[in-house]
Amino acid sequence: MYFQIQDLNVYYRAIHALQGISLTVNKGEIVALIGGNGAGKSSTLNSISGVVDITSGSITYQDENITGRATDQIVRKGLVQVPEGRHIFPKMTVQENLEMGAFLKNDKAQIQRDMERVFDLFPRMKERRNQPGGTLSGGEQQMLAIGRGLMGDPDLMLLDEPSMGLSPILVEQIFDIIVDINSQGTSILLVEQNAQMALAVADRGYVLETGEIVLTGSGLDLLNDPKVRAAYLGGDSDASESGSGAYYF
Amino acid sequence: MKNTSAVAVRKGVLTAIILIFLQLINMTAALGAMLEKMITSAKSVKSVSPLFYGVIVALVAFFIAFSFIRSLYRPGKPKPTPLYCLGESLVIGLVSGVLIAALNALISTLNANGVKIRTYLDMMAPDAIKTAAFGREIPVMIGIYLALTIAGALLGGLIAWIIKSTGQPANAWAALQRAIAENHTIRFIRRNKIVRILVIIAILIFVFALPFILSPYGISILGLVLIYAVLGLGLNLIVGLSGQLVFGFVAFYAIGAYTFALLTAPKPLGLEFSFPIAFLVALAISGLSGVIVGLPIMNLRGDYLAIVTLGFAEIIRSLVNSNLLADFTGGPQGIKDIGQPRQPGFIESLIGKPMPENIYFLYVIMIFFAVTLYIVYRLQYSRVGRSWEAMREDETVAQACGVATSYYKVLAVIIGAVIAGAAGALYASRNTYIGPGDFVFMVSVNSLAVIVVGGMGSIPGALIGAFIIKGVPELLRDLENYRMVVFGVLLIAMMIIRPEGLLPIRRKKIYAEPDKDLEILKKELKP
Ligand SMILES: Nc1ncnc2c1ncn2[C@@H]1O[C@H](COP(=O)(O)OP(=O)(O)OP(=O)(O)O)[C@@H](O)[C@H]1O
Ligand SMILES: [Mg+2]
Repeated sequence: MYFQIQDLNVYYRAIHALQGISLTVNKGEIVALIGGNGAGKSSTLNSISGVVDITSGSITYQDENITGRATDQIVRKGLVQVPEGRHIFPKMTVQENLEMGAFLKNDKAQIQRDMERVFDLFPRMKERRNQPGGTLSGGEQQMLAIGRGLMGDPDLMLLDEPSMGLSPILVEQIFDIIVDINSQGTSILLVEQNAQMALAVADRGYVLETGEIVLTGSGLDLLNDPKVRAAYLGGDSDASESGSGAYYF
Repeated sequence: MKNTSAVAVRKGVLTAIILIFLQLINMTAALGAMLEKMITSAKSVKSVSPLFYGVIVALVAFFIAFSFIRSLYRPGKPKPTPLYCLGESLVIGLVSGVLIAALNALISTLNANGVKIRTYLDMMAPDAIKTAAFGREIPVMIGIYLALTIAGALLGGLIAWIIKSTGQPANAWAALQRAIAENHTIRFIRRNKIVRILVIIAILIFVFALPFILSPYGISILGLVLIYAVLGLGLNLIVGLSGQLVFGFVAFYAIGAYTFALLTAPKPLGLEFSFPIAFLVALAISGLSGVIVGLPIMNLRGDYLAIVTLGFAEIIRSLVNSNLLADFTGGPQGIKDIGQPRQPGFIESLIGKPMPENIYFLYVIMIFFAVTLYIVYRLQYSRVGRSWEAMREDETVAQACGVATSYYKVLAVIIGAVIAGAAGALYASRNTYIGPGDFVFMVSVNSLAVIVVGGMGSIPGALIGAFIIKGVPELLRDLENYRMVVFGVLLIAMMIIRPEGLLPIRRKKIYAEPDKDLEILKKELKP
């Protein structure tokens, strides 16, 4: 198994935020993790990357048990998280931000190639590469955050709500780029509020509700599932065709 | 227009309040005396001459009027006419002149009638009252005050108007920087490698000659400033670079100083180690204390280090101050006869006689400062420095990038502690005496002030900051009692004018070209 979570439990003091969830990602897949606010999506990603302490359960990645490892060890293995909410280094320039993404890399030529790749995906970043990250627009900062994640040359990328707060056009662009990144060989675990878009690009999906996985299936199945439609896609039967409207939780 | 006139009246009252306040604490006279001393280069001025007293009064009116007229130029508002500017300045001068003259008329009259003003106003001795009245009769005095404030205010308003209306950049600092950047000679020096090296050599020669040029007093001040600069560099690394707040930095300074003192002094331990060995041990022990303080907080987020160091500093101070431990630490009496570095033989053979002790020690401090500077500089622009900076800006992302934040946090504390320990050991050796009184909370505050004033995270800033925090109060000694008042005002003014510190940290500033960017943006925005 490429990536697997088994029976993961996470407590924040008394709050039982993740209640025994299990999920898998196969090599080359895009897997969507959807759910309402406070369902535990970010908590899942944070426990994978070692930012949050796990109470019980196991996480395996490339046949290795990585449960409880330090974040830098996990990043070193090519499992890179892009945290929620456009976190960037505001005073560093765009280029320095990207270089930070390659913090654990030593191969200068490889870093240069990765940088070119990011600039190909996000031409805007190239124009702005000497500008402090904090002066970018919100959408540009999100691009920078994803670009920085790519600089770690990830094998499996954890994206936490990349479309948050973006205009519809930019949302489409971001999802196109995610598909692009995936087609270049990076597996992706995608957390999203925008269930419509996420499920449309995902091979498989999981629905998380108050710390438990309540539904799983292929992206298409979930898109057409009446319960999902009712809860997350506004219940409108032809919502999937209209391409706009209240797809947000 | 009516509105602004009302403001002018208020500014006039403000001027008068400042003047009255200065007079009541007798600072007008002190400032005047300082000015007189500077200009006439008299050794000491017992009582200020009326001329310089008057200049100070006029200067206050000048600055208020100047800043008021300047503030009238705001984007979107019509430019004031010169006549209007002069009118407003006149109002300021008139109002403040009438008020301050009235006060002095009152005081003089009361004084003449035998009322002992001094019982009510501490500083208003008969002499001071006479000085404030310019030694004249009341009507003449009123005239002088009015003339002074009005002349000062008019001049201030006029200069503000000239600066604003001739389109000169009002910000003299910016103008200066631009002039430097555009100056051909300086550009030539910057570009030309040989010239640059020559300039650096000249500066080095000057620096090396400095201990011989300075008076003993100057040597002692410079030594203290450099020790504080080292302290500032260490704290800068923790607070400015890695972004963790430290309130009790004095703890590491004290540990370095005490370790060194105990190892070299004849009492209380009688070890009398040589300078290099004791110095190295002092570094090691202060580094160890950094580990002790750093480890418990390595996995915590937030400003725990500030509290932990604060407590640690208090513990250290109580320990060295305690009578119980006096046999080991010297107790409240402190430690005396602390060891000094021996002069290497070649100095004597080179200049024929041993170098004076204080000059030699200044060289030692300068060398340590240079070494610290080099180390800190290398660290800041290394991988380690980068991770500190990343941590400071956003700990979550730094972690997501693979920075082992816990490790780098503790590392910053340890290196900072070692540098502080070095500063402490130097201080102990230079003074040859230390006691608990040398390691009070104020040292922590001062070292924080050094880096705040100089600019957080900036290496040259630490030197400038140390000079301002430790050097300027000494230069202001002439002001005697008002020294700290003036110093405080200077600090406040500085933080208002340059909130990021005097020499804020420089990032590579190669901004994208706005025009080109705009084109790209326009293209992209087209549907
Ligand atoms: N550090 C924390 N301390 C305490 N409680 C937390 C912490 N982080 C998350 N929680 C709680 O755990 C639950 C799950 O939070 P999580 O951030 O994983 O939700 P989410 O699914 O990502 O929601 P959203 O879509 O709003 O980002 C929430 O109830 C939240 O309040
Ligand atoms: Mg979340």
